[in-house]
Amino acid sequence: MVSRLSLVLLIVALTSEQPNHAQPSVIARLPRATRAEVVARARTLAGHTWVCGASNVHASCSRKYISDWKPGQKITGIPYRWGGIDGPDEFNRKLANGLAAGAHSRYGVLSCAAGIDCSGFVSLCWGLSPTAHAYSTSTLRQIAGKPKYNWFTDMKAGDVLDKAGSHVVLFTGYNPDGTINVCEASGSKARVVCGRATWSRFKNYIPLQYKGVDD
Amino acid sequence: MVRPSGIILLCLLSGHLVSDPPGVQPETAANLCTIRLARVIRIPVSTIGTQDPTKSPSVAPATLMLSPGAKDELPDGPDGFDVLDDGSLLITDPLRGQVSSFDSAGKFRKAWKIGFAADSLTAIANDVVVVRESSTEQLHVFDREGQARPSERGTLPERPQAQVVAGQNRGRITRPAIDSAHGGPLEIQFDKPGITLVSLESLGTDHKGDTYVALESTSGGSPEAISVNKYVRRYSAEGKLLCEISDIPLDYYVPPVDELRVHKGIVYQLQTTSSEVRVNVWDTNQMCSRPSR
Repeated sequence: MVSRLSLVLLIVALTSEQPNHAQPSVIARLPRATRAEVVARARTLAGHTWVCGASNVHASCSRKYISDWKPGQKITGIPYRWGGIDGPDEFNRKLANGLAAGAHSRYGVLSCAAGIDCSGFVSLCWGLSPTAHAYSTSTLRQIAGKPKYNWFTDMKAGDVLDKAGSHVVLFTGYNPDGTINVCEASGSKARVVCGRATWSRFKNYIPLQYKGVDD
Repeated sequence: MVRPSGIILLCLLSGHLVSDPPGVQPETAANLCTIRLARVIRIPVSTIGTQDPTKSPSVAPATLMLSPGAKDELPDGPDGFDVLDDGSLLITDPLRGQVSSFDSAGKFRKAWKIGFAADSLTAIANDVVVVRESSTEQLHVFDREGQARPSERGTLPERPQAQVVAGQNRGRITRPAIDSAHGGPLEIQFDKPGITLVSLESLGTDHKGDTYVALESTSGGSPEAISVNKYVRRYSAEGKLLCEISDIPLDYYVPPVDELRVHKGIVYQLQTTSSEVRVNVWDTNQMCSRPSR
């Protein structure tokens, strides 16, 4: 009896309408991207090599700013800047103009700094316009849906793990030991990095699948 | 507002609970030796942005520094640690460019002024501590008193290979040959009804050949978000499961890079919260508790 009731409720749950967080017109205008393109963009941002100039360790608009870098230091990965969405070309241009390389939230959103934050990173990987930081971890669900597959085995490269108001990372693959590989704009590492991670780091995160992805 | 899907899920779960045959228990539960949390070492923190001058970095060297982060920025702070032979602790203090040393009770000893933000450190043989710079991943070598050894090249032990067999709740870990123990593959079987093994990680093999393994599992019970639990198991050199730790808290404020360390049969977990840094300690050498019949 209980099993029958469970079966009926399961069917109802599976067939019930899922909330749609996105405007259809927004979805229609999303740039299309293949998963390979998404991952390639992530690798480009993580692999971007630059040299910190003497002017890039200072932020003209913040007196309390302390740089993560030293003059002359060669770094791999676009630096982390809270509120930023600079791709390699824009970052290089700002660096050449003497802007600070990266900044954390403790200094505020600095217009005099260059770099990228976690949601800006995911936006660029998905091919969204770098001219506006349109989506945060809280609004990515407008352009990405929660997949119904088994998250521990069936995620696809280019999906993300998101925790609204906190952080988002790009999934790139599983390891044989069951851990995962992710790319992210990391505040603690001060730049875009790719690496291995355990699941416990992502407790209470939600997998999301970009609605503009071409499978 | 209560969502209809939530009610349905509750009904489904309760239905499963009721419909389970009575008396069915995990095969290993009756005999599994479970190790409880033995103690918590608590280290105070200072937070960037607090106006209390007594908590400024210069006045409160015995604390570790936290940055609370912001919307779309994770908190930052101590995320790496290791345990020395005498049970004392080294913990990264990246926001101050330091590594701080504490005795086994958590009493502050000294701070190493390393001059960079470190996110991981590993005490290895020959009186050497390898510290990783978070922004470059460069490895730096220090002695156990914090003196830099710039001429030495830092290398870390290779991570033993592990493999999970998808959908079968089992896996395998490679073990190094140590002293009298021959090493080789260690077969892991994870039998807990309704729970799925998702990852395996070797935490190391001790001089007796006992191997410590971290396992992550999910019950799939939280469809709204990722839900995992973590276990640490100790296996003998012969591959016998000796004991298990199952009460590992995963509510991290600062996500750890060095999450778990094992030293002389004692398991340590770094858990940085918003109010303190905790090092949770389980002693797998002690008598374990078994479920009552």
